Amino acid sequence: MSNILTIFIGMALINNFVLVKFLGLCPFFGVSKKLSNAASMGLAVTLVMFLASAVTWPITHYILAPLEAEFMSTVTYILVIATLVQIMELFIMRTNYGLYSAFGIYLALITTNCAVLGVTLVNARESFNFIESLASALGAGAGFALVLIIMSGIRERLDTSNLPKSMKGLPVAFLTAALLGLAFSGFSGMV
Amino acid sequence: MQLVAAILLVALIGLLCGLAIYIVYIRVPHKVPGLGKIDEINKLLPGMNCGACGYAGCFAFAQEVSRNPQLASQATCPMLLGNDEVIKQLEIALGVSIDTESMNKKAMLHCKGSSENLFDYSGVQSCKAASLLAGGFKRCPYACLGLGDCMRACKYDAISIDGDKGIAVIDYVKCTGCALCVRECPQNLINMVSGRSKVSYRCNYSEIRVIPGRERCNNGCTHCRKCFVACKYDAIIWNKEKAVPEFDSAKCTLCGECVAVCPTRTLEYFQPAISPYAV
Repeated sequence: MSNILTIFIGMALINNFVLVKFLGLCPFFGVSKKLSNAASMGLAVTLVMFLASAVTWPITHYILAPLEAEFMSTVTYILVIATLVQIMELFIMRTNYGLYSAFGIYLALITTNCAVLGVTLVNARESFNFIESLASALGAGAGFALVLIIMSGIRERLDTSNLPKSMKGLPVAFLTAALLGLAFSGFSGMV
Repeated sequence: MQLVAAILLVALIGLLCGLAIYIVYIRVPHKVPGLGKIDEINKLLPGMNCGACGYAGCFAFAQEVSRNPQLASQATCPMLLGNDEVIKQLEIALGVSIDTESMNKKAMLHCKGSSENLFDYSGVQSCKAASLLAGGFKRCPYACLGLGDCMRACKYDAISIDGDKGIAVIDYVKCTGCALCVRECPQNLINMVSGRSKVSYRCNYSEIRVIPGRERCNNGCTHCRKCFVACKYDAIIWNKEKAVPEFDSAKCTLCGECVAVCPTRTLEYFQPAISPYAV
């Protein structure tokens, strides 16, 4: 149990995907302008990471490993994750339209997000078991959502503040990202 | 050998993935009413994703319409409005009747631009700015200033500026009736008319008792009622309050009497390219 908690905290804070491993940087700047958008993107990414880990674990251990074809894992994972997202989108659209509109375009967008692929590759590299893989996916998703929500909150606040003209918009967002990264580096060595 | 095996493996996984999507697509039931028609409706739409309907693209419009068929009779795809056959198919697919007549709108400019310039205007090149300076630089205070505020508002390149006359010219084929230009005009010269109009009244000067239009411009309405008298089919109704003619395009036979009799040529045929009745 403590092992699972360690993995969760480790993926969420210490090895945070955005600020420490620098994965998923496009949504970090693209979708962090509004708090509501950031929250739904964070939720969508967490959901997809969780399902992707759940699906790729048996593929790694029951198909790729016995055939000694682990070198094909990147290609296979991309295929499987893309399929998974498509199926999930179809399913949500047909069963729960309210949820579908809440996810909006983000569900389709994260089909090829590197953070999602990253978490499955990390799971394979660290040779986690099934439960550990799920914990690591949830941790990575929670960390991603946390950073996205923090960033969008700061950016919403900065939009209304009196900044020098040359710093408005992206420049100050980059500076904020750097300071956030510095802050998150304080977590290293915690576990 | 390993290479071939790897290729086969990935091809197999890809095939299985495709099969999985297909099975889900076929098997999962539509719980939301109407959503099953999305593909059928999407095929009827032009697929240009122009966004004129107000949704993110043709597929988004198909989604909204299939969920809420009543939407189609309030706002439909402007690209389809001229195409009765597709509209009929859309009506069958949705099970509602679409009143194209009330939705088929075109922007019309109520000025022919023959009012002369009072002074040379060399300020900010915008109608809104020019109209603030002594009511514009034209003799007629209602005239089109031709600096192109409406042209810049138009997303479909349907409006151009005629350099000789100094007025905006609307291309009725490109006009989708989105009405973005209407509020841009500081002179309130553009309004939306039925796309099946036959005769257009190209003057905005209606205050008959102050100064007759003729003093302001060569093509201004003089409120002489000649068109009203000339019409044999009761297609022209005289608006006594504004002293301007109003047209009933259902009764109009396009005989051309009113256009011919207009002494100032204020009346014109509506753009022939769009009106199926036009000669």
